[in-house]
Amino acid sequence: MVVLVALSAGIYAAVLIPFKGLVLIPGITEIRPANTLPPVLGLLFGPAGAWGSAIGNLIGDFFGTLGIGSIFGFIGNFMQAYIPYRLWRNLGLLKADDLEPNLNSGRKIFAYTVVALLGSFACALTIGWGLDLLKMVPFAALASIIAVNNSIPSIVLGIPLLMILYPRVKKWNLLWTDIMEEDEISKPDAKARIAALITSLAILVGLFGGLMAAVAGGQSLFAAGFAGGKAGLASVGFIAGFSTIIFILASLL
Amino acid sequence: MEMFLYMDKDSILHKLDPRTKIFIMLISFAIALMFSSLSLLLILSFLVILYGALGKVLSNLKRIRVILIMIAIMSVILWALTYPGTTRLWGPVTKEGIIYGIAIGIKFDVMIIAGMIFLSSTKIEEISLGLVKLGIPYRPAFAFSTAVRLVPMIVSTSYIITQAQKSRGLDLDTGNILQRIKKYIPLLIPVLISVIRQANILAMALESKGFGYSDKRTSYLEIKFEVRDYAFLAVALLILIVAVYFKFKYRL
Repeated sequence: MVVLVALSAGIYAAVLIPFKGLVLIPGITEIRPANTLPPVLGLLFGPAGAWGSAIGNLIGDFFGTLGIGSIFGFIGNFMQAYIPYRLWRNLGLLKADDLEPNLNSGRKIFAYTVVALLGSFACALTIGWGLDLLKMVPFAALASIIAVNNSIPSIVLGIPLLMILYPRVKKWNLLWTDIMEEDEISKPDAKARIAALITSLAILVGLFGGLMAAVAGGQSLFAAGFAGGKAGLASVGFIAGFSTIIFILASLL
Repeated sequence: MEMFLYMDKDSILHKLDPRTKIFIMLISFAIALMFSSLSLLLILSFLVILYGALGKVLSNLKRIRVILIMIAIMSVILWALTYPGTTRLWGPVTKEGIIYGIAIGIKFDVMIIAGMIFLSSTKIEEISLGLVKLGIPYRPAFAFSTAVRLVPMIVSTSYIITQAQKSRGLDLDTGNILQRIKKYIPLLIPVLISVIRQANILAMALESKGFGYSDKRTSYLEIKFEVRDYAFLAVALLILIVAVYFKFKYRL
């Protein structure tokens, strides 16, 4: 498992680093085609892929953006891989007898799109809330940019990437279901389904509720958000912060 | 190809315990975050540069200069156009916006320079051991240091595969930026598969050496706090206390 963590982290960092110069928000984020990887790594390698995404992002930060935001980047990138891993089996979008992440049907591609989007939103919510709390960047600007910046590559490139990588990883017995002990693999039962629903709901409420509260408080979306008002609104802090805590706790259940 | 920032120098900074350098880096982050005043951020920049000079690692600034300049320029442009100031200079650009943009650019740059100084004066093994001594479990620390070592290997693999495809006629040098990025995407697959294949070999090597046999591990590299560590920490804490005092006393 530790090798898969290192491998995931190494791959993620290696794809992140060449794009460090293409800055979107100074010192915070850049154009990131590497965001294709976290949901794919999460679905293939499970928790190892999630830890790998978190560590890989931290290593990427070493090449120019290491700062206090790296703490929230660590958690956010962990969640971008961990949420798809947790929700894939538990959200109830797939048939119970076929949970393999091989994207061999329209249903599975739809499920992948949903979990990858929720993972991207979870990452945007965590980092957006954290840096707004520190009064570094307004929530509306940062969360909207990260949500779009993460979602597009993770869906457009993530689907073909997972289709190509799955058969090889399966053949080498490196899927998380092949590596983890039987009793460590959670069963998609009623408790897991409820936890998955709470996780999804908290992510959506946190991100879109937080964005609405931010806009109502004078912030604006995307680049215009820099003019919409200063970061650190109490309403955003409450909605986004509370939802972040809820979705993290629910996803760990 | 030298990817990492570490510089092997004989300096007092290199001799410090990695935990001391982690604490100093975090303190510089905290102070940078506390203020948006241009003059105070310039004082902090001076202190951070002085700290870097002690480690003889400031020549590494050349390697990250593009990132630092991009951040500064983007910050000034963004804030000059959008900051709600009153002294209009040209169109939406205000004097307050430009000053705020410069201050925010310096704030981010000073944090990045503090991170660069830490990485330039601390080996990956020292960072890993420092994290373990700070209470991080060994496995995540090992995964971190292994991942850092894997990055150059992955880059080297991708370079070999790119050269191989070029020798077969793949044209990666023409077209606009988007077309060129698009051409690189198919190269990602053989790189990923090659790297994943090597993970199996690494796992077997670790197994054969008894990785995870015992929770109590010894380390070839030993670190401990010396007088100089306490001295550096005392100065850093003093600066933090002064910064907090000014923050609350004068509402800076």
